[in-house]
Amino acid sequence: MSIDTKNVAEDALADLRGRYLTFFIDNTCYGIELLYISEIIGIQPITHIPGLPAYFKGIINLRGKVAPIIDVRLKLGQEERAYDDKTCIIMVNISDMQVGLIVDMVADVVSMDDALRNPPPDSGARTGDRYLSSIANVAGKVVLNIDCEKFFQSDLRPY
Amino acid sequence: MAIDPSMEPMLEVFIYESTSLLEQLDEILLEAEKSKSFSDDNINEIFRTMHTIKGSSAMMEFTGISTLAHAVEDVFFILREDSSRLGSVGEQLFDLVFQASDFLKTEIESVQNSGEANKDPSAMIAELKHLASIMRGEAPAAAAPDAAPADAGSQPPPSGDPDMVRIRVFFEDGCQMENIRAFMLISQLKELCDKLESIPANPESDSTCCSEIIKNGLLLDLKPSGSLDDVIHSIENAVNIKTYEIVEDAAAPSAKAAEASAPAAGGEPAAAKPAAAPASPAASTPAAAAAGKVKQSLVSVNQAKLDQLMDLVGEIVTSESMVVGNPELRGLKLDNFHKSARELRKLTDELQDVVMSIRMVPLSGVFQRMNRIVRDMCKKLDKDVDLVTEGGDTEVDKTINEAIGDPFMHMIRNSMDHGIELPEVRLQKGKPAKGRVTLAAKNIGGEIVITISDDGQGLDTAVLMKKARENGLLTKPESEYTDKEIFGFIMLPGFSTNKEVTEFSGRGVGMDVVRQNLEKVGGTLSIDSKRGEGTTFIIKIPLTLAIVDGMELAVGNSVFTLPITSIKQSFKLSDGGQLVTDTDGSEMIMLRGQCYPLIRLHQIFGIDTQVTDLADGIIMQIENSEKVACIFADELLGEQQVVVKPFPKFLAKYEIKQMGLSGCTILGDGSISLILDANNLLSSYR
Repeated sequence: MSIDTKNVAEDALADLRGRYLTFFIDNTCYGIELLYISEIIGIQPITHIPGLPAYFKGIINLRGKVAPIIDVRLKLGQEERAYDDKTCIIMVNISDMQVGLIVDMVADVVSMDDALRNPPPDSGARTGDRYLSSIANVAGKVVLNIDCEKFFQSDLRPY
Repeated sequence: MAIDPSMEPMLEVFIYESTSLLEQLDEILLEAEKSKSFSDDNINEIFRTMHTIKGSSAMMEFTGISTLAHAVEDVFFILREDSSRLGSVGEQLFDLVFQASDFLKTEIESVQNSGEANKDPSAMIAELKHLASIMRGEAPAAAAPDAAPADAGSQPPPSGDPDMVRIRVFFEDGCQMENIRAFMLISQLKELCDKLESIPANPESDSTCCSEIIKNGLLLDLKPSGSLDDVIHSIENAVNIKTYEIVEDAAAPSAKAAEASAPAAGGEPAAAKPAAAPASPAASTPAAAAAGKVKQSLVSVNQAKLDQLMDLVGEIVTSESMVVGNPELRGLKLDNFHKSARELRKLTDELQDVVMSIRMVPLSGVFQRMNRIVRDMCKKLDKDVDLVTEGGDTEVDKTINEAIGDPFMHMIRNSMDHGIELPEVRLQKGKPAKGRVTLAAKNIGGEIVITISDDGQGLDTAVLMKKARENGLLTKPESEYTDKEIFGFIMLPGFSTNKEVTEFSGRGVGMDVVRQNLEKVGGTLSIDSKRGEGTTFIIKIPLTLAIVDGMELAVGNSVFTLPITSIKQSFKLSDGGQLVTDTDGSEMIMLRGQCYPLIRLHQIFGIDTQVTDLADGIIMQIENSEKVACIFADELLGEQQVVVKPFPKFLAKYEIKQMGLSGCTILGDGSISLILDANNLLSSYR
């Protein structure tokens, strides 16, 4: 029986692999591997915590659990903008911890196999580029895939 | 060997019981080793412990455990007879018994994890036997009790007495209380016999032998005073007897009989039965019965259930606040409602206290384990170290208690291995040859502060710096590093100052793991060290699961909770008190002739608010054991009980606690309030 459950779990994981949630910041389309995402919630009251980098908007109450929220715009070094009804929080699981990402708008879930994805060019300096795992072209649309590990690296250990 | 599902609950009890027994055993051994002798009480206690483990493990069919326990029991059996025999083996005995205790612990752990115990203790048993034979004198004469293994086979009716008869009696199925029935039968038969012994012995005092009697029957070795027929007749007439048989060939009884044999051997003159071993696994002996009597009225509870209970209580507290503080009730005159609400509040308070107290366990258990580690390391490292523990009665939450065991072990090992020098070196340095590691716990203002200090060589900042440089860990010019920051290096992953990896430390994972484990329960670790004088690790663990009474303070759009315990008073500036500004421009409040520093919450937390004039807001005077200060907020919202939640682990890198915030809490309306930490506020903003 345990073998069966293991297989089911593996199948489920395999299902998620290669699929990406796309979202927009301004007119740029970004993707995050579905594997990392636990849910998408609407914008809600955020309690600010002093003493954190500006891109930490604070913490929210997610059904009794407290989760920190990061504004992706600020993390990527862009201008902050007022939240509207399209603004969403994508809850991401990283190293067994939950973090929310504020994005302008969630777009779609798309499958991308390896052939579609190209490594990002080594352009160096700009903030944001160093978080990318690949750049894909899906149906004529350019998607910048964010590497979650890299994205949160500065917030996780080691110091 | 798979465990029968029906044994599952028994397995849990077995694990629980054996673990606590083994812990006791360690305690006794350490004590005895210090005084280099066993008191009679200690010997009996160890004997009983081993006997119980032997019995219960045999019942669970863990033969490895039971045979080893048996071998240890044998050794202590000899000691019990004549404790002076300890002299002939001395230290060796302690080492061996400690090893045996460790073996049993790992086996029980493996039982817990996989339900199996397969390691072979035969080497250890051989050593124990060897030891036993030394203790008995070079030639283990027939006069000494033989330490032969349990399966020495049968227990024949004492030979040389042809009148002895062995009778096996089975009671009716399901007649219950077999032990009592056995006892009744025995007392009846006693009148008819010159000599009567039963297996199990003393069934009346131990109800656990019921199953044994059901399985193997009651064995009676008797010598009838009249004819055997009288006895048989009496058995036939006794109530609830299903069958009986006279075991003719005592030399070849069934395997079952062997298993059930000989509990009484311990009490019998050993000379009479050279081959009889105090063996019987599941059967009970007087010793086991005595152990049963001291059982306290304790219930062991699954921890997950306790966690759930705690969560539920937290929810109740929150929803109670939601009901009582419901905005829809505002402006209504509800005398009865408020009376009932107060009653409810009183009950929830009580409930909370009880639940909290259930979860609290003293630290002494963890401290005790450290004694053991220090002892072992002393031997292996040839160092002489005393472990001094203080405040073992400090109580912490169970989860915390579990989480800090490993970190303590690492830190003590570090202190012993790297900190304390060899005795010769210590003498050269003018220190006493005997090193000292102090483990002290204190409860200070809602935080448990535990210090682990040694009087060893201390940390060498130069070496640490060099190592950090080699590993490329430096992020700023070397001269800018403070001592504290340099000490902090040892908590980085992969950082070890020991040149060689030893059995105990040097791989550089230790302190990193320590820090991570402590952070899991919201604790912090700091290091203080003086070259040549020693190192101190300071651990601070908040009472994370606590529910606190707090005052809600509004500052701009934010709500803060200030624990009531740290509030001295609250007042408005207009009530008296005066703003004073010193030469640096820092503000102070003059109150009844005393000056207190003023902390403006909106300023230190960078919050936009309309209320910046002291006269418009509220001033709370806060205190800890050392200092008093005033904090300024916009408005006092009221009192509420809140459940403290730690900040998300994700934010662990940022030292929010240093900002004067100890955690957060979810208010009745679902919004989050940050909990102010008076200690940090007082120390960081002067």
